[in-house]
Amino acid sequence: MLETIDLNGIQSLYALSNKLNLNNVLPNKVAIWKLRNNNPLRKSYVINNIKLNEFDALIRITVEMSKFLYPYIREILKSKEDIEENSVIWNDFNNRFIELIKERFNVDSIRVKKLLNKAENDEIIIKSLLILSFCISNQGYQKLKNFLYDF
Amino acid sequence: MIQNKLSFHQSSASLEIIGLPDYSNNENKDQISIISQWKLSIVDKPLIEGKIEHLGPIMDAFYIYSNLLIKNDSPIYESKLIDIKADNLHLHNIVLKSSKPNVNPLNIKIGNTSLSDTINCFDQLTESSKVRIKKTVVSNYIAKKGSFSLNNKVKFLHFIMPPFIAIISLILCSSTFIYFYNPVEDKEKNELINPE
Repeated sequence: MLETIDLNGIQSLYALSNKLNLNNVLPNKVAIWKLRNNNPLRKSYVINNIKLNEFDALIRITVEMSKFLYPYIREILKSKEDIEENSVIWNDFNNRFIELIKERFNVDSIRVKKLLNKAENDEIIIKSLLILSFCISNQGYQKLKNFLYDF
Repeated sequence: MIQNKLSFHQSSASLEIIGLPDYSNNENKDQISIISQWKLSIVDKPLIEGKIEHLGPIMDAFYIYSNLLIKNDSPIYESKLIDIKADNLHLHNIVLKSSKPNVNPLNIKIGNTSLSDTINCFDQLTESSKVRIKKTVVSNYIAKKGSFSLNNKVKFLHFIMPPFIAIISLILCSSTFIYFYNPVEDKEKNELINPE
């Protein structure tokens, strides 16, 4: 979701891991890429047994990135609220989201097919953006962790 | 006595806290521990204001509703003071009920952006070192969710039940075979009857 907003997502993730002093957990871009491959919906899915400190590091980076991208997250949510007046931002975001999913995810999976369907993916996109927008405070790390545990 | 005023802003929402420091606790001049009034303004919406006893329940309502919104398809929060209900995926209907008699409830409709802005204002307030508010249900609610909850136990049961049922049914099925005809045993019996 964050990569759909930030075109240079992987570089930003790596820069933030340096800023948050997470170099010992995520020393390079390959380490981040490996962790992302734990997602079973990805084409390059590999079971790496993600460790607790790696899980924490990813949450910290996500929260930090949400803080930076909050104005954009807000604009996307806003454009969906006023879809009749301003549909350009939402449509651009949704198209790019679908492009990224097609490029990186296993499109044969039923769950991925649901993400690719514009009529059905609204809810998952809005809820994901809302979760990110609720977690931009200093307590965001704990909040996001709670949301993920409840998922 | 001049009261202190602190404001927390997030895009379309701003929260103003007015009150005094607790001098009996040797607090600084700019601290607020005794809140006398608060105001929540959301762009293009009527001003929401109240006393300290209303702030906690309203914050709780917003926090609990935001959690329900993520988990449920049709989230509803209802209390004596405030009701929040989702009209659809983008619009939330807030009903504020006055504690004064003969005052009609105030209806406000806000979008996802205003909701997240308001929650971020409340977050800034709870994190502020200059304002001291009594911990309400919110903190308990969040803390409980982080611990090993009933939900996790249910998930654990979901994980352990299928293999358990499989093993039990395997034992039951195999035990029925004890009563079936065994040709080897029968052959041995025949040999004993007719030794030639």
